[in-house]
Amino acid sequence: MKSRMIQLLLVGYFVSIVVLVIGFWVYWGTFQKAPVQPIGFSHRIHTTRVGLQCNYCHKYADKGLSPGVPAVSVCMGCHDSVKVNSPEIIKLTQYWSGKKSVPWIQVNRLPDHVYFSHKRHVKHGFDCEICHGEVRGMDQIRQVRSLEMGWCVTCHRANKGPTDCWTCHK
Amino acid sequence: MNRREFLKIIATTSAAMAAASCSVTRESDRVFPYLVPPEEEIIPGKPVFYKSTCTECPANCGMIVKAYDKVIDNKHTICPVKLEGMPGHPVNDGGLCIRGQASLTRLYHPERIKVPLLRKGNGQYQKLSWEEAYKKISDALLSAKEQGRKNVFLSGHTTGTLSDLIASFCQQENLERLPEYEPLSYSTIRAANKILFGRNEIPFYNIAASDFLLTVGADIMGTFVSPVSYGKQYSKASQNPDFQWTHIEPHITISGMSADMRLSIKPASEIYVLGYLLKKIAFSKSVKNQIPGSILASLPDLNTNDFTRKTGIAMEQLDAIVNHLEKSSKPILITGELSTASSTGLETALLSGLIQWSTGMINSTIDFSQSENYANVGTLHDIQNLVNQLKGSLIGVIFISRADPVSNAANFGQVFQNASFRVGMAELMNDTLNQCDIILPLSHPLESWGDAVPRKNVVSVIQPCYIILTSSEPLESWGDTVPAKNIVSVIQRSMEPIFNSRIEGDIYLQLMSQLKNQPVKETYQSYLFANWDKSYGSNFAEESLKSGFVTRPASEDSVSLNIGEVAGLFKNINATEPAKTPVLAIVPSLRAYDGRGRVLALLSEIPDPLTTVSWGEWVSISPEMAKSLGDLKDGDEISITSDKGNYKYPVKLQPKLSSDCLMVFRGSITPTTLAIDTRTGDDIWYIENIKIQKTGNWIEMPILSGSTSQEGRGIIRDPKDKKTLEEYTSKAGMYEEIVHPNYRWSMAIDLESCTGCSACVAACYIENNVPVVGAHDHIKGREMSWIRIEPFYEKENYEFVPMLCQHCTYAPCEPVCPVYAAYHNPEGLNAQVYNRCVGTRYCSNNCPYKVRRFNWFEHEWKAPMDRMLNPEMFVRTKGIMEKCTFCVQRIRTAKDGAKDENRLVKDGEVVPACAQTCPANAIVFGNILDKNSKVYQLSQSRRAYRVFDYLGVEPAVHYLHKKETPSGRDKGEGT
Repeated sequence: MKSRMIQLLLVGYFVSIVVLVIGFWVYWGTFQKAPVQPIGFSHRIHTTRVGLQCNYCHKYADKGLSPGVPAVSVCMGCHDSVKVNSPEIIKLTQYWSGKKSVPWIQVNRLPDHVYFSHKRHVKHGFDCEICHGEVRGMDQIRQVRSLEMGWCVTCHRANKGPTDCWTCHK
Repeated sequence: MNRREFLKIIATTSAAMAAASCSVTRESDRVFPYLVPPEEEIIPGKPVFYKSTCTECPANCGMIVKAYDKVIDNKHTICPVKLEGMPGHPVNDGGLCIRGQASLTRLYHPERIKVPLLRKGNGQYQKLSWEEAYKKISDALLSAKEQGRKNVFLSGHTTGTLSDLIASFCQQENLERLPEYEPLSYSTIRAANKILFGRNEIPFYNIAASDFLLTVGADIMGTFVSPVSYGKQYSKASQNPDFQWTHIEPHITISGMSADMRLSIKPASEIYVLGYLLKKIAFSKSVKNQIPGSILASLPDLNTNDFTRKTGIAMEQLDAIVNHLEKSSKPILITGELSTASSTGLETALLSGLIQWSTGMINSTIDFSQSENYANVGTLHDIQNLVNQLKGSLIGVIFISRADPVSNAANFGQVFQNASFRVGMAELMNDTLNQCDIILPLSHPLESWGDAVPRKNVVSVIQPCYIILTSSEPLESWGDTVPAKNIVSVIQRSMEPIFNSRIEGDIYLQLMSQLKNQPVKETYQSYLFANWDKSYGSNFAEESLKSGFVTRPASEDSVSLNIGEVAGLFKNINATEPAKTPVLAIVPSLRAYDGRGRVLALLSEIPDPLTTVSWGEWVSISPEMAKSLGDLKDGDEISITSDKGNYKYPVKLQPKLSSDCLMVFRGSITPTTLAIDTRTGDDIWYIENIKIQKTGNWIEMPILSGSTSQEGRGIIRDPKDKKTLEEYTSKAGMYEEIVHPNYRWSMAIDLESCTGCSACVAACYIENNVPVVGAHDHIKGREMSWIRIEPFYEKENYEFVPMLCQHCTYAPCEPVCPVYAAYHNPEGLNAQVYNRCVGTRYCSNNCPYKVRRFNWFEHEWKAPMDRMLNPEMFVRTKGIMEKCTFCVQRIRTAKDGAKDENRLVKDGEVVPACAQTCPANAIVFGNILDKNSKVYQLSQSRRAYRVFDYLGVEPAVHYLHKKETPSGRDKGEGT
C-alpha cells in the first residue's frame, strides 16, 4: 500500500514537471511567435526599404490613446500602382474592391482595466522601439515585451513616471 | 497501457491542446481599420460629440451626445454612450433630468420592436417587410374608403417639421388629424388662460427674474411642464439672498421638500387659499392691476374656523405669503398639476390667473410671448369624440404614433377594436400597440433627423448620433454621393438603425409615394433640410447643426384680462366643499412621468427620492393614517374601495403627507377610471371618499433607506448651529498627515439648491457603467448606485442629502483592506483598484457613509445594451467592490489636456457626471488647494460642514446646509 502511494506520488511529480515544461515551451513559443496575419505585411520592408516613419501609418501615436491602424485607403494610396502583382498585394486589393476591412490580428494588447496613452509616452520622447522592439527588423510583427505591470512599473520608476495605481488602472 | 505510454499520451495531448488554444485568434483580438477614414477626424480613444434634442417628454431639452467609435459586427459605428444637457440651451441650459439621462437606454432597449409586425387572430405577430406593411396599409385605406369610413391620425406631442409633414400626409390621404394626445395635457391651465387672457397656452414662467416664488401643487422640479428649465432658473434666482420660495400642496412632492416654506393643505381646498390671497391682494395698496368688484364679491367669504376646517391651515399662515406678494418687485405664482386636477381645478387655475394679473406677474415674470409649445395638444374631450366615433363604428384606418391612449384614456381601450384597421408606431410595445393590426417600429431620435420647437421662439435640432461610418464605400464611389447638405458632420450619416426600424418622417414620405404609386422621391433628411431652407433661411442647417438650436426673437406680445369673461365664473364657489376625504391622489411620477418611463429598467432601479422605494408599486400614506388603520407598517397591503374602482397596494409610510391624502403614481395605476372635468377636458386626479382596509398581506418592498430620520446623527447640520468649521473638525487620526502635492479633488453640495430630483443618480449610472440589478437584489440590500438621494424627515426640517463616496483624507476603508485595493491617492482620491480587490468587503463594513457597493454577481448588459458601455470605465466583474471615483476618467482626460499645455488643470475643467447634469447647479467640483476655485470658496462658506466630521476622517465633500429660516420651514403641520 505504502509503495503504491509513493509510486503514485512519483508519477504525479513527473507528470506535473512534464506539463510545466510543455506549458512554458508553448507560452514562450506563442508569446515570441508572430501570429499569422491576413496579409503578409512586412514592417521591415516598409520601414527600411521604403523608409516610412512609424507615424506615417500609425498617425495617432502622438495624439490619442492608441496609435491607430492605417485605413485601407492608406495602403491603396501606393499599392494601386506599386507591386500590384505580388500575391500579398492581390489579397489587399481583394479586400479593397470587396469593400471589406482587413481583419488584422492585434499583437500588443493590454487588458481592459488598463488606461494607457500612447500620446503621453510619445510626447515624453520615448522611442516606439522601447516597447515594441526592433520593428524595423521584423517581417512579421511580434510582441517582444511582456507588457505586464511589473515591466511597466520598472520603467516608470526608472524614469520618475507616476506610480499611483489610478494613473493606469481604471 | 504502461506508464511510459500513458505519459506520452498525456504530454502530447496537453501540448496539442495548449498550442491549439493559444493559436486560435478570437474576434476580439482583431482590429478593423477604416476602409476610408472619416473626414471628421476621430482620434482613437477620444469621444465625439453631437448636439441634439431630448424627446423623452414635451419639454425638449437640448443635449450633447457623447459617442464613441466602436466596432460592431465588423463595422465602425458611432455609439452614443452618454447624454448631457447642453449649456446655453434656452430650455435647460446644461441640465438634464433623470428621465432624459435614462432615455439613452430606450435607444439600446433589448425589447425594441425589431421589424414591422402584423397581428394575427391568435394574438401572435407575423414579421413583415416594410414594403408588405405599406401594402397592407394602403389596402386598408382603400377598403375604408369603399366602406365610407373615416380615417384618422393620432399622435403624441409633435412639433416642428414632422408636424408639417404629418399635416401634408393627412391632407393627401384624406385623414382627419386629431389633436395630439398627451396624458399630461395641462388643459385646465390652458383653459383658464384662455378664459382670462384669450390664450389657450402654458406661458413661460420666468423664475430666474423673480424674487418670490409661490408654487401651488405644481411639482416644478419633478414633472411639471419643463422641470429642468425651472431648476436652472431657480438656481439663478436663489443667488439673490432675498429670494424666497413657498410651496402649497395637498400631497407631497420633491418641490415641496425643497421650498423654503411648505404649507400642507387639505385636498382640493386651493380655491379657499387662493381666494383668500386674491382678496387680500386686491384690497391692498400695492395691487398693480385692479380686479372687478363683482368677482371679489363672489369669492368665498369664510370665517376663520370655516377656513381652517376646509383648508387645514389658519388664515394667519397665509399672511407671510401676502406680505411677500405685496413687497416683492417681481413675484411669480405657478399653479398646476394636482391643484388644478380636482373638481374645482378650473376655479383654482382661474383664481391663480387673477392673482397673477393683480400682482403684475402677467407680461412680466409670466410671459406669453415665449409660451410652451402645446399648440396642437388636445384634451380628453378630443379622445371622447374619438371614442364616440369608434363606438358608432365610423372609423376606418386609425394611425397612432408615439401615444398610448389605451392605458391612459378612459374607455378608449374598450372601443379601439371598433376601428377597422389600426396602425401603431412606436419604439417599444405598449398597451395600444398590443391592439394594433400593423406595428411599425420607429427609429429612436438618436437615430433620426428632425427638429423640435419646445417654445414658440426656439428651434432645437435632432440629428442622428448612432452612425455607421460610410467609409466602407471605396473612394471612387464617394464624391458625388455625399449629399450637398453634408455640412457640419462631414461624416456622411449612414442611416442604418440598430434594428429594422425607420425614421417616422421617412415612413410618411414612403407611404405617400406608395399610395400615389410613385417611387420614393426623397428622404426625410432632404425634406427636413428643404423645410429649414424654406422656413428659416438657407444657412439655418449649417448654423443649427453647430449650435444645436436657434432662437428667434420673441414677438412683443402682451395679454390683458378679459374682464367680461370672468364675471360670473365663481357663482357657485361658495357652495363647494373640499374633496370628501380620505382621497386617493394619482400624480405623475418623477421617474415614470405619465407612465412612459416604466419600460426603462434604469428608472425603476433608481429609487423614488421621497420614499426610497425602487421597484414595484405602492401607495404612500401618512404615518397618522397608518396608525389609525391598525398600526400599518411599510409593506402592509391595503385594499382601497371607491366608486371608481378597487385597488390593492402595499403601503409606504410617507412622513409629512397630509393625513387626508393617499398618493399613488401614474403608471402604477390604470388612470382610465379617472373622471373627466367636462369643462376643461382634463382628468381629475382624485378619487374621493375612498374606503381603506388592511388585507392582512405583507408585500416585501425594496425600500433602500433604513430610516426616514437621521436618528440624531447630524447628517444635516442644524442651520442654527453656529459652530465654525474649525470647531467642528476634530483631528483624531493616528496616521501620518497626508500631503497632496498638486491637487486635492473636492466637492461642494449645496443642500439649499438640491431638489432631490435624482438626475445625478441616473447620470452616474450611465457614465460609470453601473449595473441595474433589479428588485430581488435591492430587497437583499445589494443596490449598486454610487450616489443616492437620502430623504430625511425631522420634526421641523426635511430635506434631501445626496450621499456618495466622501473621499476621506483618512478613509476608514483603506487600512482594513488586506490587499491594498483601497488606498488614498496623491490627489486626495480614495481609489479602488478593481483587479486587485479580492472581495473581503471589510472596506464596506468600515465605511461610515455606506457608499461602497459589492458586485455579488457578474452583471449582464443584454445586447444591444452593451453598446452603451462607456469605454473609459472598466466593467466590474463578480466579487469586486466599487464606488464613486469622482469620475476619475474625467479627471484623467482633463489632466491629459493640461499636460499637453504644460500646466495644471484649471478650475471648472473637470465636471463629474453628477455635477454636469444637475438642474439646480447644486454640485460643484474642483481642486480645493486652488484658493481661487469655486469649491474652495464654497468650503469656506459659513454654511459649509462635512458629514460625520467628528469622526476625524476629513471627507472631501463639503455640504452647505440650508439657509436659516426664522421659525422652521414647516408651517402646515401640527396646526
